[in-house]
Amino acid sequence: MKRKLLGVVLCIVLLLSLVGYASGASKYRIFLITMDQMDQHWVTVDAGAKKAVSELGNVTYRWLAPDVKDDAKQIESINNAIAGGADAILLAANGPTAVTSALREATAAGVKIIYVDSPADYPGEQTLATDNEAAGNKAGQELKKALVNKGITSGKLGVVNVNAATASVVQRENGFRAAFKGTAFQILETQYSEGDAARSKDIAANYITQGVVGIFGANEGCTVGTGNAIKEAGGKVIGIGFDKSNTILQLIKEGHLLATMAQNPDVMGYKGIKAAVAVLEGKSPGAAYVDTGVSVLTKDTL
Amino acid sequence: MENKKKQGKLKRILAKRGMGQVITVTIGLVALVIVFALLNPYFLTGRNISNLLRQIAPTLLTGIGQSYVLITGNIDLSIGSVVGMSCMTSATLMTKGVNPWVAVIITYLACLLIGLLNGKLISKAKLPAFIATLGTMTIARGIAQIVNNNYNTDSIGEAAEGFMNFFYYGKTLGLFNTIWITIVIWLVFNFLLSRTRTGRHLYAVGSNMHAAHLSGVNISSTVTKAYLVSAFCSATVGLITTATSGMGTMDAGNGYELYAVAASVIGGVSTLGGQGILLGTVIGASVWGVLQNGLQFAGAPVAIRNIVIGVIVIITVLLDLVVRQNKKVGTGKVGTGKTTSIGLKHKA
Repeated sequence: MKRKLLGVVLCIVLLLSLVGYASGASKYRIFLITMDQMDQHWVTVDAGAKKAVSELGNVTYRWLAPDVKDDAKQIESINNAIAGGADAILLAANGPTAVTSALREATAAGVKIIYVDSPADYPGEQTLATDNEAAGNKAGQELKKALVNKGITSGKLGVVNVNAATASVVQRENGFRAAFKGTAFQILETQYSEGDAARSKDIAANYITQGVVGIFGANEGCTVGTGNAIKEAGGKVIGIGFDKSNTILQLIKEGHLLATMAQNPDVMGYKGIKAAVAVLEGKSPGAAYVDTGVSVLTKDTL
Repeated sequence: MENKKKQGKLKRILAKRGMGQVITVTIGLVALVIVFALLNPYFLTGRNISNLLRQIAPTLLTGIGQSYVLITGNIDLSIGSVVGMSCMTSATLMTKGVNPWVAVIITYLACLLIGLLNGKLISKAKLPAFIATLGTMTIARGIAQIVNNNYNTDSIGEAAEGFMNFFYYGKTLGLFNTIWITIVIWLVFNFLLSRTRTGRHLYAVGSNMHAAHLSGVNISSTVTKAYLVSAFCSATVGLITTATSGMGTMDAGNGYELYAVAASVIGGVSTLGGQGILLGTVIGASVWGVLQNGLQFAGAPVAIRNIVIGVIVIITVLLDLVVRQNKKVGTGKVGTGKTTSIGLKHKA
């Protein structure tokens, strides 16, 4: 008798859970997959996405990211999203071809792909990103302008970058270097800090010892380190960086950094969710590429 | 008579276990310095030497902690995460208006708790060191993220200027404070390791845990002390990082545990336990620091850097193994298999 009762109860539970799932399925399941969970940049993308989700009300949203940037782990995250019933994925791809296999499986499972910050070579519905090469070039032009204004038309320059494998920062550096092509400035061999602010400071300090006239920091950590090194050296080295944070703005106000190229990661997340929902509702998300832009933040514009 | 005494002392110092490797590596270090100086005249400027010494400090400090743990035959994988936890905890407290020195004390207490946890998990609960510290590694990193709600902190502000000068930017008698802090910590822990009973117990536990136990050594307390030392060193590096950047970053210290192993191992501390001196860790950390600094001045592309660093670490470990192997063969001892806490079998 007890066994029968247990059996009936279990069947009811099973039926209820099926009903629960069915009613839950009327909401769109969207996953955000970034490169890692710690970089401030991704935290802001997530914040922007959450804002759109709360506005829309018909989205079940989750942020999935490996603890560190790693291709295999990102593939795993994509697979987890597919298995978790994703209708759409907002993806910041580790690299152009790093996760193509997982993306193929996703599309085969009917999942829509929207790229935020870093697209992959695999086709997606829309890409919302900073035009990193243009932004890097802009940074280079600003630095060149400032140096020329001080009467400096030649000398050594240093680049503090994250790593050689992340497309976004590599493009920024390419753009930066292009700004100095044909000039008398010599850009030294790039040093990589993985975005660690303390390591970046060491690298920038070493550049200053070598007599550079300008330094470029390719992301938030690199920029913080560059600014701190210039502050400590107390000299005339001009620093320019990327991304925005309380510390960076402080360094600009104090005059240790010339400017920073502030991205709009929250816009990427916000518009990304809206675009995903549009696609899932059968509408067009708009342009294939949305440049979420950078603003040049200097002492005067703060 | 005087000469003989002097000769005797020098001989005793040279005969100390682990000195052989230290001398070999020191020669290597000098060679590296000469090469880098030749490649770039800026390398040996006063400014760079000053910077270089300060750049070596975090590796040396974490190296001291890792060496203590390695000597007991264990490993500490949580070092990097404790650095991050220390950085974020201190910075978050300071941005919330807490007095910097109170924040320092709270940070040390929190990090020492991790050290205590490591020690007890490994010695009382008998977890393999690799697993236990792998667990605390992820826990500490999680704490680093949660402490400021998964955001890096704001600038710690002008109120923390005294703190920043003490740990990083200030100079005393011409040397950066960081260097003095490292020297003091090294002197204390070197004394503890080489001149006290605790030190002897640390080596005993690493050489042969059973024999140590039979001799009345408190294994649990000894192993825990090693992890507490490691946590203390990591916490200090975290504070130095906060002072350096003027803010807390969640990814601070990423990978530091392995650099600490490299510094220890290059200096002759064996990963199999019971062997190595802290003087070696100084040289090991210096080799590491000189490589990082010198390769930048040499303009080496990043791929070359990684290969060079990896090759040097492997060569020094191989040297250590070869030397130990030869010693065993020389004395004609036949060993029995012995499993160390990180799960490696080797002939005792």
